[in-house]
Amino acid sequence: MEFKDYYALLGVEPDADNKTIKTAYRKLARKYHPDVNPDSGAEDKFKEVAEAYEVLKDAGRRAEYDELFRYGGSRDNGFEAPPDWRSSAGFGSATAEQFDGDFSDFFTSMFGAGGSHFHQQQSVLRGQDAEIEMPVFLEETLTDIPKLVEYVIHMVENGQRYDRKKSLKVKIPMGVTDGERIRLKGQGGAGQGGSPSGDLYLHIRLVPHPLFDVEGHNLVVTVPLAPWEAALGTKIAIPTLAGAINLTIAPNSQSGKKLRIKGKGLRSKSGSGDLYALLKVVVPATSNDDVRDLWKALSEKACFDPRAEWSKPS
Amino acid sequence: MNDVVLKISLQELCQYEGLTEQLIVDVVSYGITEPTEGHSVADWVFDTSSVYWLQKAARLYHDLEIDWVAVAMVIDLLQQKEALEERNRIIEQQLNRLLE
Repeated sequence: MEFKDYYALLGVEPDADNKTIKTAYRKLARKYHPDVNPDSGAEDKFKEVAEAYEVLKDAGRRAEYDELFRYGGSRDNGFEAPPDWRSSAGFGSATAEQFDGDFSDFFTSMFGAGGSHFHQQQSVLRGQDAEIEMPVFLEETLTDIPKLVEYVIHMVENGQRYDRKKSLKVKIPMGVTDGERIRLKGQGGAGQGGSPSGDLYLHIRLVPHPLFDVEGHNLVVTVPLAPWEAALGTKIAIPTLAGAINLTIAPNSQSGKKLRIKGKGLRSKSGSGDLYALLKVVVPATSNDDVRDLWKALSEKACFDPRAEWSKPS
Repeated sequence: MNDVVLKISLQELCQYEGLTEQLIVDVVSYGITEPTEGHSVADWVFDTSSVYWLQKAARLYHDLEIDWVAVAMVIDLLQQKEALEERNRIIEQQLNRLLE
């Protein structure tokens, strides 16, 4: 077992006073807390720091730790507790919520496993909640759709941790939005000693669509137009999530113009969103001599200066 | 077929999520989240997306030893950041479609 130098973890001297320890913890907690620092290593670092603080902030526990520190802290080849070691400071009022019993081996063997008392007793025995990402296609949000959910939950039984695969059928309600969380009662980790299971939360993630972009409840489809279609106007078939519909493009339509097609967006609790057709004028990549001649004739006839704005006196 | 629930009551939050009623009252009074139903505290019902923010708020309050005003500000900024990231993602996606 590795000896944990809690003073080094907090970056303080072994004779540091409570205020110094508190300040050091707060600085490190603010820096590494997984809710504010998304970096991959931050959570582990925070757990170490919080464990150190959990011990050092309490006078009784700190005194016991100091004893161990003198006893074995300087040994290099592993650490064994003194044969007659028994913690009396223990844990009755710890509030480190993030652990859920996830202390280091060193901590557990020195101070017992009862560190996580933020939860009430019954919720310690209750199974842990689990959350998984649930990819949903845009087309699937238009109706209540049954989906097969497969996931792995961490189980603890008789002190043994193991992973178990689960799969279940879920009816995803119509109109779910990206980022929404839906709850499945009792489908999380199993409870201990007959306590209820935790819940499973599905974190809805809308799968990016090859044609449609999502903006809240509205959809945007980019519509490529030939220059002459934009100039003369045309009628084209526009894809929607539920089949194509015809759309009239007015003459002299500009690139970047958005046309609203009412009610063809995503479903929501308050009705349906809209579909916006975003016009994008594209020029053919190549042209033969005939076509080039026609463009040339057009350029002479049209008398169009697209940069007229630039030459205006300001 | 398993039943999907989009709501969670105050009692369930206390019982299952290890939160106390006082903590939830604090979180609501600082505007970090709000119940979708219920006039009195005992009848409060939250939508399930609130659980994520309630738990975040509880962790920040205990782990960082900061007061509720600070927690509310952190949560507010985290939510703004999420919204901006989402907005940025949408705009980048649309820009790519215009350029491709």
